[in-house]
Amino acid sequence: METNTSQVPVTVLTGFLGAGKTTLLNRILTEQHGRRYAVIVNEFGEQGIDNDLVVDADEEVFEMNNGCICCTVRGDLIRILGGLMKRADQLDAIIVETTGLADPAPVAQTFFVDQDVADRTKLDAIVTVADAVHLSTQLGEHHEAEEQIAFADVVLLNKIDLVDKSKLAGVKDRIRKINPYTKIIETNRCAAPLEEILGLNAFSLDRVLEVEPDFLDSDHDHEHDDDVTSVSFVSDTPLDLEKFEKWFGNLLQTHGQNILRSKGILDFKNEKDRYVFQGVHMLMDASPMGPWPEKSIRNSRVVFIGRKLETMNLKEGFESCKSD
Amino acid sequence: MNNESVIKSRFEENGKVFETGAPVTGAVSIENAVAVGFGDGSIRFFWPDNDPLEVQAHSGAILSIASSNDGVITGGQDGRFLKISTNAEVEEIYNFGTRWVDNVAAYESMVLCSSGKNVYIWSDENDKPKILEHQSTIGGIAIDQNGRRIAVSCYGGVTLWRLEKNKWKSSKFAWKGSHGKVGFSPDGKYLVTTMQENELHAWRIRDKASFAMSGYPSKVKSFTWAGDNPYLVTAGAKEAICWPFDGKEGPKGRKPLCIASGGQQNATFVESLPGEKAVFAGFRNGMVLLSELSEHPNDVLIQNPTGSEVSNISISPDRSHILVGDSKGQILWSPLWEQ
Repeated sequence: METNTSQVPVTVLTGFLGAGKTTLLNRILTEQHGRRYAVIVNEFGEQGIDNDLVVDADEEVFEMNNGCICCTVRGDLIRILGGLMKRADQLDAIIVETTGLADPAPVAQTFFVDQDVADRTKLDAIVTVADAVHLSTQLGEHHEAEEQIAFADVVLLNKIDLVDKSKLAGVKDRIRKINPYTKIIETNRCAAPLEEILGLNAFSLDRVLEVEPDFLDSDHDHEHDDDVTSVSFVSDTPLDLEKFEKWFGNLLQTHGQNILRSKGILDFKNEKDRYVFQGVHMLMDASPMGPWPEKSIRNSRVVFIGRKLETMNLKEGFESCKSD
Repeated sequence: MNNESVIKSRFEENGKVFETGAPVTGAVSIENAVAVGFGDGSIRFFWPDNDPLEVQAHSGAILSIASSNDGVITGGQDGRFLKISTNAEVEEIYNFGTRWVDNVAAYESMVLCSSGKNVYIWSDENDKPKILEHQSTIGGIAIDQNGRRIAVSCYGGVTLWRLEKNKWKSSKFAWKGSHGKVGFSPDGKYLVTTMQENELHAWRIRDKASFAMSGYPSKVKSFTWAGDNPYLVTAGAKEAICWPFDGKEGPKGRKPLCIASGGQQNATFVESLPGEKAVFAGFRNGMVLLSELSEHPNDVLIQNPTGSEVSNISISPDRSHILVGDSKGQILWSPLWEQ
């Protein structure tokens, strides 16, 4: 996505009912500190917040007619973000609340698919509010809970005063197993500073370079087919650009529905620049990000977060992209 | 822009420029004025002979504007549906709270608006609105030339409502995808919508035969009708694309006329010149051209590039003046003819 200073950052706020999203929204609306935030909510009206920047919306997910089956977008967001851009006053940020049962993918995909949205706004980060007491149960019971963790750039792990140390460590492990890239902030009553939640620029390709995931040992205990997991690979041998494009393109075409997020930094043979990519399902954003810094180790690193990753021969595929 | 001195058009020489600071979101003719809605919630009336009159109406942007029997009606981001007279009286028809009023329309004494998935109709001094429900949030509404039919677009197509024995009866014109703006052809025989994809969709109402008009490099944000054929004139490409709607099959299998070709960027707004076979096209860079509806059109420069997208072009009801508004709030108000 093009960098444009006039793009308003959009934070997507997800999380199950009762996790503390409303507490956080109330804080964002009351602690504006001279900033102007618009908040797009679902059925928030009865909360009694008198603010002309609270917009009620129905979550409307629809398919694009572009032949891509997982290319669903949020129609209401296209309409409302377009409407907010008609305002005379400049907004500092827009926050989109999604209901607990929502799949975050259509929200993220809206920013890839709609040109008007991409011109004027940019997806800043997906922030998931999770309840330290109930998250483990919710992860077992609802697909959506796993997806919300899988997509999260930040997990606000709330209500930590209600769990003991070992349970907290267990919940954090579970989150890390689904999404090694996410930043976990432990809070009570969502009391984290707003600057750790808003304006993160997490979807910018530069950020892929900054955040080092914890590369976990692949530990596949207690998993069944539908669990969301992550895998990562590193190669010190430079990759072949053509082979990679062919493998990766084909991979997203055939398995895009099960790959929730993908990210990577790539070292191609005979290329001076680092290549960085990140994707949501079948949609991907990639570009060269300048030469490798002099003292850094040149290598390629990729991470996939999704379901049934073990069926995709990811390791073999990635290995086959190595240059001769 | 570079330092070359720009040669002003006759319209820029003779007209007045207003910097309002708020995006122009829509405009409509009322009595002998053009009423313009802005992104700061204000309305300005432009008259051929007087200074403009500003009325502060909504907080937040005005999303839609139409003219009714006795004033302009507007829908805003503040959830209010208002009627504003040309002497600046503001009357609230309804308040929807935190829900936006996305679309408004009027026919004689009937006024309607959409908010969320519903259309609300007020007619004959009735205080309580009639509500028409739809399956998803409404993209656009239009009333036909006789005030007997209302077209409502949303996800999955258009619902056409007919007034029969004082009851609104619906029939569905389906096409997968999200539909935005909707309109009737001047003869009332066709329905046209803009789509989320870079195309338009049309139905012949008689038999629901439908077809797409595609090939655009960007979303089609504006269309209008021009000439006797008539032509459906559309924005979304580097030229104004004009589809012929004469004959039994309309534009099916025929090539459109491409006029106003000097714009360099995609057109964002089109308007016809009433009574003439001519079309105004406004572009993403602020340029506005007047072009003839013909195979080899002559183009006339109305406005040089301003750097901001043209969001409205309107002709005063007496055809004496043109108004051009853009997304940064610049207005050009100029005599249309040599004085």
